[in-house]
Amino acid sequence: MTARLSDAAVGRLRSAASWPDVPPERYAVRALIGRGGMGSVFEAYDQRLGRNVAIKVSNAAVPGTGLDARLRQESVVLGRLEHPGIVPVHDAGELADGRWYYVMKLVRGQTLTEHVATLDGEAAMLGVFERLADTVAFAHANGVIHRDLKPSNIMVGSFGEVLVLDWGVAKILKETPLADGGAEPHDGQAPARDATASGTRVGTPGFMAPELQRGDAVSAGPAADVFSLGALLFWVLTGRPAPDAGDEAGRQLAALATPPSRRLKAVILKCLSPDAGDLVADLARYRAGLPVTAHPEGLIERTWRWLGRYQTFILLVLAYLVMRTLFAWLR
Amino acid sequence: MIPFPATRQSVLERVRSQDDEIRRVAFGDLAEGYWKPGYHYLRVHWHLAPEAAEDAVQAFFTTAFEKQYLERYDASKSKFRTFLRVCLDRYVQNLRKAEQAGKRGGGATMLSLDFPGAERELDAAAGTNLHDVDRFFHDETVRFLFARAVDALRQALDADDQAIVFRVFERHDLNPSAEVTYASLAAELHLTVAQVTNYLHLARRRFRELALAKLRAISASEAEYQREALDIFGLDVTRS
Repeated sequence: MTARLSDAAVGRLRSAASWPDVPPERYAVRALIGRGGMGSVFEAYDQRLGRNVAIKVSNAAVPGTGLDARLRQESVVLGRLEHPGIVPVHDAGELADGRWYYVMKLVRGQTLTEHVATLDGEAAMLGVFERLADTVAFAHANGVIHRDLKPSNIMVGSFGEVLVLDWGVAKILKETPLADGGAEPHDGQAPARDATASGTRVGTPGFMAPELQRGDAVSAGPAADVFSLGALLFWVLTGRPAPDAGDEAGRQLAALATPPSRRLKAVILKCLSPDAGDLVADLARYRAGLPVTAHPEGLIERTWRWLGRYQTFILLVLAYLVMRTLFAWLR
Repeated sequence: MIPFPATRQSVLERVRSQDDEIRRVAFGDLAEGYWKPGYHYLRVHWHLAPEAAEDAVQAFFTTAFEKQYLERYDASKSKFRTFLRVCLDRYVQNLRKAEQAGKRGGGATMLSLDFPGAERELDAAAGTNLHDVDRFFHDETVRFLFARAVDALRQALDADDQAIVFRVFERHDLNPSAEVTYASLAAELHLTVAQVTNYLHLARRRFRELALAKLRAISASEAEYQREALDIFGLDVTRS
């Protein structure tokens, strides 16, 4: 009989038993990085290409189950979305035990939850959100809705790159032809692909659109992600998840020690409203000092924004006029 | 392929069977999975002397079989493991009352169990935090489950003339030293690094299969087995 196993040995056996049986001649699994409800992510070494990678494996002990289907869908979604804000997939396949796995770039960085404490000022925060919104807009343009945007699913890399993770509950709105022409031509009527069952509740409370809270995951459209982006902005500013009622969100934003500008507040509340606008365009316009669609401006407000936007130019003109007047007077 | 046992009765369903032979085998499975955590629990928590703890564990399973203690388990109220521990607590309490009343309790011998070995293990458990008795019983159960799976793995690999596979597993996963790497192990055991990788891969997979099979054999129901597999291995063993 084996002698009493130490706590350390029990821990190692526990890890070893759950580690994926990836082809050992190709990948050497090194460590468990994280474990979620759907899958676990391991750090591994790609022996053929000589680089570190991340391997995500379904937690299902039995292949072909719901978890497996979701992981398979996630790899398909990631493979379809080639964008700097989305982790690239290198490889995918079935383990010896029949479970699905995929290999992706190993990303080092902080989740938004950790990174938010390091953000210095509104401009830095908006920079992150603009890149985040751009990624989400790219996914939407390719017929994919994320449906679970939340701080722990957003990673900020060591070079400031913003990555959207965990596409396991994403919904493919339409089948678009693959680059090699492998998919059937899209007639616009192809059914949406959804690895979650009808009526399934997907998302995370506080960041979840009302339709997802109602369990209506199947009919959720891009607006569900726009709601989550607004909720994330709200969370960064207040440290709290967004309340269900828009009025309450507005009150909480106004009560902050340093409340956001009226235009930024309008953008957030618009995202949280049922008729959310185009957040991506609005964020870009806001950062560029242009008017946002979420907030119609009055004349005074527009003038102040204009003055703010062209501040340097106006100061240069004023300095020129002062100097010219001074020279004229001296002469 | 992880073996998913063909649909069969859970240990609790077998414990509740009208067929005495099925009940006897089910109690054998339970005793095999729980006797050592039970023995350690009685020694550490109840401070029973080695012989008294030995008698109590033997008698507990015998009495539970005869008086149908375990048939009363209600899955909506607790985990089966917790229920088993509480039954053991009550059994010891009753035993003490009986002793005070001048009656002799225990003494039944049903199983051939390695109590001296279990006693030696207690030295290694010295200093264990016992503030959370449920946690202690859980950890001891998992430890014993793994030890049984390791034994089964050793036997299976020996039988297949693959003792070297177990040796790699033992050196890398079971009793590693800080400096053990695939390369150092390959050099030590006169293997290639690829062989070390492949052997470790094989041993881990078989260990997982054996541990899951043993876990299932001592789980009260399919639902409990699924929860325990997720808790212990992070594996979802449901099929839907």
